[in-house]
Amino acid sequence: MNPETEKTLTFFGKMTANLTHEVKNVLAIIQESAGLMEDITAICPLTEKKYQEKFNRSMATIKQQLHRGIDLTTQFNRFAHTPDRASAELNLVDTVGQFCLLTERFARLKHIGLTAGEPPANERIRLTTNPVQFYMALFFSLESCLTALPADTEIRITPQKKGGKSPAIEYACTGDHLPPAEEFFQQLQAADAWSELREMIGQLQGEVECDTNDLRFWLIF
Amino acid sequence: MGSDKEKDKIKILLVDDEQEFVNTLSERIQMREIGANVALNGEQALEFVDNEVPDVMVLDLRMPGIDGIEVLRRVKKQYPNVQVIILTGHGSEKDEEEARRLGAFDYLQKPVEVDTLVTRIRKAYKQQIESSFMAGTFAEAGEFDTAKKYMDKDKNKDKKKK
Repeated sequence: MNPETEKTLTFFGKMTANLTHEVKNVLAIIQESAGLMEDITAICPLTEKKYQEKFNRSMATIKQQLHRGIDLTTQFNRFAHTPDRASAELNLVDTVGQFCLLTERFARLKHIGLTAGEPPANERIRLTTNPVQFYMALFFSLESCLTALPADTEIRITPQKKGGKSPAIEYACTGDHLPPAEEFFQQLQAADAWSELREMIGQLQGEVECDTNDLRFWLIF
Repeated sequence: MGSDKEKDKIKILLVDDEQEFVNTLSERIQMREIGANVALNGEQALEFVDNEVPDVMVLDLRMPGIDGIEVLRRVKKQYPNVQVIILTGHGSEKDEEEARRLGAFDYLQKPVEVDTLVTRIRKAYKQQIESSFMAGTFAEAGEFDTAKKYMDKDKNKDKKKK
């Protein structure tokens, strides 16, 4: 990545991190104010039961959406810090979880499910790399899958150690409406994002390996 | 929820420049029988601590003027027994490392569930009591060096971790 691009990314990162910090403050105020209302009605409930029930339902929705907002903002704040360092050690389980939370909407718009898979228990999978480029590789892979897959299918992204040692990210596509493997890989490789992925994975000194029998591929580092 | 006795006992100071947030949080903590005071910036916090040393301080990091890290540094230097819980919306690992190095008891991401915060406050208070008690016992016995060790217990613990 050239120094000018790095500068631009750092600038956007700083602005975004600052903004997410402010959004967190807003969410914190809403949370505490809603919590205070809840505390008060716990001590002194509304006189009519049906109104108390409506109040409780409404409060549950507010809390649920607050948690969603807090989760997204927290992950986005971390993402905004990605350009802070040109090289960093990433915990791939956390990184993939964060990536899926932030990009789930892209899949949802195409009626495709997106989940972060779990590696074998207690396996520490870490990789020292350029965090921005790593995220870009994850994104180009996802975008390629979204181009090649029909609705009502699933993409599962799982960090793992390929061959027991190399850190890798598996993209596995499942569902009842999957295209034949040959067709899937043809469309995948025809996608613009796939060419971008190839370029990015080269810069990261990794490689892409495909399992043409099972609609799976790996980014291996 | 705690007892009235506890409300009289634990003295906490909430420090945050988001007035709406800190005032509402203070009300909710008081409803859980813990007395809470509020400071809206670093300068106010340091002034408050000089007049009335709290047991536990809940401190934001990003504030105009003297920031949270500097407040933490000065408080732990002058009043090592005050337990400081960082409550911040900032996600930097570097800040957490620095806060813990300076002796912060805990580091929480804002917003936090009030009951989680109250649990941590009680834990911090318990530690504060233990350190003060041991320090007081040794001081009474004239063993000032040992008393000082207890006063600096958190600092030493933190150094060992490193």
